[in-house]
Amino acid sequence: MPLLEVSNLKKIYTTRFGGNQVQALRNVNFSVEKGEYVAIMGESGSGKTTLLNILAALDKPTGGTVLLDGRDLSKIKESDVATFRRDNLGFVFQDFNLLDTFSLQDNIFLPLVLEGKAFKEMRQRLLPIASQLGISDLLSKYPYEVSGGQKQRAAVARALITDPRLILADEPTGALDSKSTDELLRLFSEINQDGQTILMVTHSVKAASHAQRVLFIKDGEVFHQIYRGNSTNEQLYQKISDTLTILATGGDRQ
Amino acid sequence: MKHGFYPKLAMTGISKNRKTYIPYILTCIGMVMMYYIVSFLSVNDSVRDLRGGNEMQMILQMGCGVIGFFSLVFLFYTNSFLMRRRKKEFGLYNILGMGKWNLARILFFECLIIAVIALAAGLFCGIMFSKIAELVMIHILQGEVNFSFSIDFSVIVQTVSVFCLIFLLIFLNALRQIRLANPVELLRSETVGEKPPRVNWVFALLGLIILAGAYYLAVSIKDPMSALIWFFVAVIMVIIATYLLFIAGSVALCRILQKNKRYYYKTNHFVSVSSMVYRMKRNGAGLASICILSTMVLVMLSSTVCLYLGTEDSMRNRYPRNIVIDTFSVEDQSVETVHQAISDTLQQYHVSEKDLLHYRYLDVGGYFQEDQVIFDQNSLSGWELADTENIRQLFVVPLEDYNRLMGKEETLAENEVMIYNTKGSEYLYDTITLQGGGTWNVKKVIPDFVDNGTDAMQIISTLYLFVPDLEAMEQIFDAQAEIYGDNRSYKHDYYGFDLSCDDETQLLLTGTLRESIQQLGEDEAFPKVTVEGVAEERTGFYALYGGLFFLGVLLGIVFILGAVLIMYYKQITEGYEDQKRFEILQKVGMTKKEIKKSVNSQVLTVFFLPLIAAGVHVGFAFPLIHKLLALFSLTNTWLLIGITVGSYLLFALFYVVVYLITSKSYYGIVSRKES
Repeated sequence: MPLLEVSNLKKIYTTRFGGNQVQALRNVNFSVEKGEYVAIMGESGSGKTTLLNILAALDKPTGGTVLLDGRDLSKIKESDVATFRRDNLGFVFQDFNLLDTFSLQDNIFLPLVLEGKAFKEMRQRLLPIASQLGISDLLSKYPYEVSGGQKQRAAVARALITDPRLILADEPTGALDSKSTDELLRLFSEINQDGQTILMVTHSVKAASHAQRVLFIKDGEVFHQIYRGNSTNEQLYQKISDTLTILATGGDRQ
Repeated sequence: MKHGFYPKLAMTGISKNRKTYIPYILTCIGMVMMYYIVSFLSVNDSVRDLRGGNEMQMILQMGCGVIGFFSLVFLFYTNSFLMRRRKKEFGLYNILGMGKWNLARILFFECLIIAVIALAAGLFCGIMFSKIAELVMIHILQGEVNFSFSIDFSVIVQTVSVFCLIFLLIFLNALRQIRLANPVELLRSETVGEKPPRVNWVFALLGLIILAGAYYLAVSIKDPMSALIWFFVAVIMVIIATYLLFIAGSVALCRILQKNKRYYYKTNHFVSVSSMVYRMKRNGAGLASICILSTMVLVMLSSTVCLYLGTEDSMRNRYPRNIVIDTFSVEDQSVETVHQAISDTLQQYHVSEKDLLHYRYLDVGGYFQEDQVIFDQNSLSGWELADTENIRQLFVVPLEDYNRLMGKEETLAENEVMIYNTKGSEYLYDTITLQGGGTWNVKKVIPDFVDNGTDAMQIISTLYLFVPDLEAMEQIFDAQAEIYGDNRSYKHDYYGFDLSCDDETQLLLTGTLRESIQQLGEDEAFPKVTVEGVAEERTGFYALYGGLFFLGVLLGIVFILGAVLIMYYKQITEGYEDQKRFEILQKVGMTKKEIKKSVNSQVLTVFFLPLIAAGVHVGFAFPLIHKLLALFSLTNTWLLIGITVGSYLLFALFYVVVYLITSKSYYGIVSRKES
């Protein structure tokens, strides 16, 4: 059984005064196996963010189902959604979403504190993750004191510390310089090799070229997908570029 | 550029920011209205014509100045808050190609629009309400009501010019803020990450020490005279300590809590404590201001209300009887003559005296040095004389009069005296030695004696010395007369009584009595005699206490307006800042309920901390206020307690209402971006 199964997903937004309807997702089908590293690509307005919001249970679909570990997200009670999200999903955002009132350590602890874990246990969980991500020396610093790459690594640590089934990353390299981007992508691959399932939404070819599989979304539908197979990152990069060119120059599915 | 372009931009600017501008404009209107009303009453003819109206108008003129000054400080503060919120907007204008000169013109028109609205509406309301205020005032002064309606143009001119000046200063301040900033800074001013506040342990500790000192001072002071002197010292200490504690102490407290890992890493405390640090850093000064304003309102309201309601009480203290005749002699012949004149006058008016209070006494001031009473001031250093607690008044009364008045049958041996202390003072020695007047054994200290107006009128406390007989009194008289020389005190024959007729008759009677006694005084050798009638003094008392009361209520309203506005803006600012945090917490997996709970506890703490602190301040100020009111001859402790508690509850109720209203707009802002 796949870890995540998305079938016939639809999302229609109605503008505020009930006038125009915008179909953000038309009919999305795909699944993610445990331990996979999947990138979803698409241009602005293709429905990526809507999809991610639905996967994160932040938004409800108009039709279709999302199963995580066989559990239907839309059937989870409103009051349990936050707990579900906390226990099963880890988030990495483009703009980090660290609280500037907390030190990095406290930011990382946040989900555990919400679960009511003891300080000692939190500390034990943190140490290996922090050393893997190379932020052990920065833990007592505040977000405003560290670089963007360091903030993003702290955010990754926060996502990992609950040991989630799935990590959802929304343009994680969007706000980083090229050096930090390389560093973060290397870390993602490393984490994935340790067995962590990752679903990343991006429009950076470079970021996508690190994944094992790349899905392309256009106009609210999965348009195409590429498996890495035995390709190197560079070869996958080339394939993705080609696909994007076809997408951009109007190659319809024929 | 096209005509009317800037005014139009200014109008959009205001209406786009109406959430913050409407309360500001309302406050401006309120301030203008208050200023107009108070200055209208302070020059109004029908108030001046009342008895006591002059005194009242002097008090009001003072209040007028206070309101003007407060308006300036307060509107200044609010406006700089408004400007901060709009920096981004101005940055955008600047980037779109508007120079600082263009921005200045927009600001000018905004200021002008607000000034026109505030003055027009404020004057309109002021004129409407001035008649009501006038009627209230006339009622307080117990005068005749007339229903003519008047508008005073000179007052309008005065109000307009004062507020134009205030608005001009506000405009200049806004210009200064725009000039200082460059466009990129203007655009980004709200998103700069904030450093975590550092704890200033020195300030926190200093705040604690000063506050403890002020509280100790307030509780430990015994006599009203020192209370008067130390009151202002205590007030300043409390103000400093409040600022220090709110700014540094609160941050220090949060840091201590954060150090305690077990406490800190709990779901309920984690987010709240860490955000409180920032909240307190940003709002410490504002909260301290609210706290001090609230304390001021409370102290002012409770003391002025108490004075007003206790007017009759304090009059009774000051004038123990309706009419008091004080003859400066105990010689039988003169006293007889005076008494005869009194009974003649009473007969003439067909009234009889009630509650007769008649005794003889000698009053003399002295410096109490342990068990010695020193009359000779030259032997004392200036330092000792400055110690007001030891300067007391001595009333010597023969035992015979004491027994008669109190219905007792006390006896005293030749060298014995009894003692009675007023105003909470004490005498702890077994003997009392009067300079040149012999040493006396204190037989006992008695718990009470009749009131005496002379004691009530004075700040210093009195020690009554009951001596065996008139001769002993003469002996003490001679001793002090020798030392004081021309400044010697007199022996008195104190004759007071109540009358059952109304104030009008009493007024006439007092006049007649004074005249007939004056005729006696044409003989050079005849002693001085004073006649005091409470009916004559009543209007004066009401003018003074009523004026203070009226002003207390008005200033209370003005200060409350101020406090409300600060609170409102605080909530709004917090709302915008918490919006982002709210979102992140939700994404990380906090339920809406948890977030609401945490935010609620923070907001509640921030909001009600000043109220609680103000309550504690007032509690400690109570002994001081009590003693200060004793200077106004008001000693009814229960009245004061009741009114203080009452005004606190009323204020708290008002506070809660404001909280409910403002927190609604707070949640509106915070949850707007909820996904």
